[in-house]
Amino acid sequence: MVEPTVAAAAAPLLDAAGLKALGAAIAIAGTGIASGWAEKDIGSAAIGAMAENEALFGKGLILTVIPETIVIFGLVVALLISS
Amino acid sequence: MSRPKRMTKAIIVGHKSILKATVNALHDSNLFHIEDFIEDESGFKISKPFQNAEEVSKKLVKIRSISNFLGIEHKEPTVQKSNSVMHELDAKLGKLDRSISEKSEMISKCENDLKDLENQKKDLLPFLSINLDFDYYRGYENLKVFAGSIKGSLEEGQISSITQAYELFYDPQAKTVVLFVAKEDADRVQEVLQNLEFRDLRVPERGGIPSELLRVTEQKEADASRKIESLKVEVESMKSQYADFLLASDEVLSIENQKAELPLRIATSDNAFIIEGWVPSENYDTVINTVNDATSGRAYVTSIEIEEEEIEEGHIPVEYDNSKPVAPMQMILDLYSRPRYTEIDPSSILFITFPLIYGMILGDIGYAIILGAMALAIKTFVKSDAVKPLMNILIYCQISTFIFGIIYGEFLGFPLASMHGEHGLVPGLLPFWNTITLFPGLSGEEFTFPVHRTHMVMTMIGVSIFVGLIHLNLGFILGFINLSHHGLKHAVLEKGSWMIIELGVLVAALGYFGGISGLTYVGVGILLLGIVLLTMGEGIKGPIELPSLMGNTLSYARIIAVGLSSIYIASTVNDIAFKMIWADHSKIGFAAIAAIIVFILGHGLNTVLSIIAPGLHSLRLQYVEFFGKFYQGGGKKFNPFGYIRKYTEE
Repeated sequence: MVEPTVAAAAAPLLDAAGLKALGAAIAIAGTGIASGWAEKDIGSAAIGAMAENEALFGKGLILTVIPETIVIFGLVVALLISS
Repeated sequence: MSRPKRMTKAIIVGHKSILKATVNALHDSNLFHIEDFIEDESGFKISKPFQNAEEVSKKLVKIRSISNFLGIEHKEPTVQKSNSVMHELDAKLGKLDRSISEKSEMISKCENDLKDLENQKKDLLPFLSINLDFDYYRGYENLKVFAGSIKGSLEEGQISSITQAYELFYDPQAKTVVLFVAKEDADRVQEVLQNLEFRDLRVPERGGIPSELLRVTEQKEADASRKIESLKVEVESMKSQYADFLLASDEVLSIENQKAELPLRIATSDNAFIIEGWVPSENYDTVINTVNDATSGRAYVTSIEIEEEEIEEGHIPVEYDNSKPVAPMQMILDLYSRPRYTEIDPSSILFITFPLIYGMILGDIGYAIILGAMALAIKTFVKSDAVKPLMNILIYCQISTFIFGIIYGEFLGFPLASMHGEHGLVPGLLPFWNTITLFPGLSGEEFTFPVHRTHMVMTMIGVSIFVGLIHLNLGFILGFINLSHHGLKHAVLEKGSWMIIELGVLVAALGYFGGISGLTYVGVGILLLGIVLLTMGEGIKGPIELPSLMGNTLSYARIIAVGLSSIYIASTVNDIAFKMIWADHSKIGFAAIAAIIVFILGHGLNTVLSIIAPGLHSLRLQYVEFFGKFYQGGGKKFNPFGYIRKYTEE
């Protein structure tokens, strides 16, 4: 936490720490959206398949969560940026 | 590490006169998986069901429809003798059927009556405030009666301007008009009414004053509903009276039905039958003995050799062979796919790795105690075969969570041990427990005991990925063992090559970061060798899949990531609750009560999330990353001919 001081008001809008935090946020947000986007189609198809045959739950779950790795990558990148 | 139960393929041959005895014996043993016979050119045909089949299935349909009508649910079984159930089945079923159809007819009659009465009431309502007997509405020679509703409002002057010979009843609220006029004026009056959008109402055919009629109708309605209620109560009492009987007879008849329809699944000639199927090798002798006992040795039972083709095509039914503690994990496997007959059954490995990763993710003493107690309670009070293994798995997971809770020193998101922060010593919940620094971790962090996950994120990512590497390599080793059945060369090319690649990367990295350039070249050499072997084993598909190794490894970073999210939710709840109490901790006021509510609700939410998030992610790591390295699945379930009795006994 940065204490708000008079000097801070004159500082540039984005300092290095702020840009780092923004970068981390973009990494998480972008990969999160990407994961969700990829999973939505697979998920709805998996539900459809499950309605036909309930034994497909396991396979459906696996296929649905495969794109989740994208957001994990995002998280790793965010942690690398901010640490 | 175990394999599915070894199976023996057996054939039972005999004269048709002993078919029934053989079928009974096989059914009782509940050990024989029958291979359905498909008619071919051999001259054997499937046979007809036993004589009683039609009768049995008729009764079964009747019993199930009655159970459905009464809403019978499976419950704590009271065991009855199947003979006595069969004995009184016909008489009891007949009686029950009669009284049920009687009752349901009466109910539907009453319901129809109720509907009629409702309609009558609707007809009556518009006339309610016109207190005129309905008999006066009809039977005139010179009078025309208008009875209907209008829109807008009617002034008496509009009628009196046409004729003086009229009698008007008008209810301005319901907009009902009853008007008696002489026939000769009817046309002109009609015109006036038409302008007011007059519409005829149906005049009830019964005579009587509307209010009186309404009272009678309502009385009848009440009577009918009361009757329906009492009939329903009677049905309900029948439900509790006959539930045991229905469940038991359903079971007995299902068994009879299975037996009676068996001839449809086996090969028969004019005089003989052949039953082909699978039996666990350890039970083969039992099956021989039971069949011989039942037929006094007149049936011929023999085992035949399993053909290579049957193994390859997965014809052999698969039965797990696990110890009791490991057995619940079979549910996780079944959810994915049952192992093939030739594969390693990974249940006993899941028994360790699944709770381990779950615990690594959650790692909190408080949640472990709450969830463990919940699982124990549900296991004790819910007597369901589906819930029990699930609760056992949850308990295993909570044991692991508890152990990791001690390693992480966490209780409901609070750190248990004190630690040195940026602003001096931060006290933990337990005053005597101090954090000890063990050795330096990654990127300037310190590895401590207890492990404060929030303060050593990078180190924990490293640890997670290291755990992932061990897990993945365990998968490669299992794949190696699976494939070594087809020859060592296969196994080395397809699974061993991956491990050689990993070794190459490791050696090269050691050389590069250690500054020994010679070692780097050796590492690159090993890496290239691995890639060549992989290409030989899996074709061009192999090198293309190389980056997935990195993806799979990094995927284990979720262990710390999901864990952190759980900590942050918990500590946020704690922060909010404690700030609210601290605001006026001098007295127990509104804020303190609200703080307690926030605390309970917040941790309640996080408890639910603590089952879902670590469970799903741990499951995913098993299914995608781990199973992807060795597991095929797709085995056929061993489904023996027989029945597990619950409500009856011999």
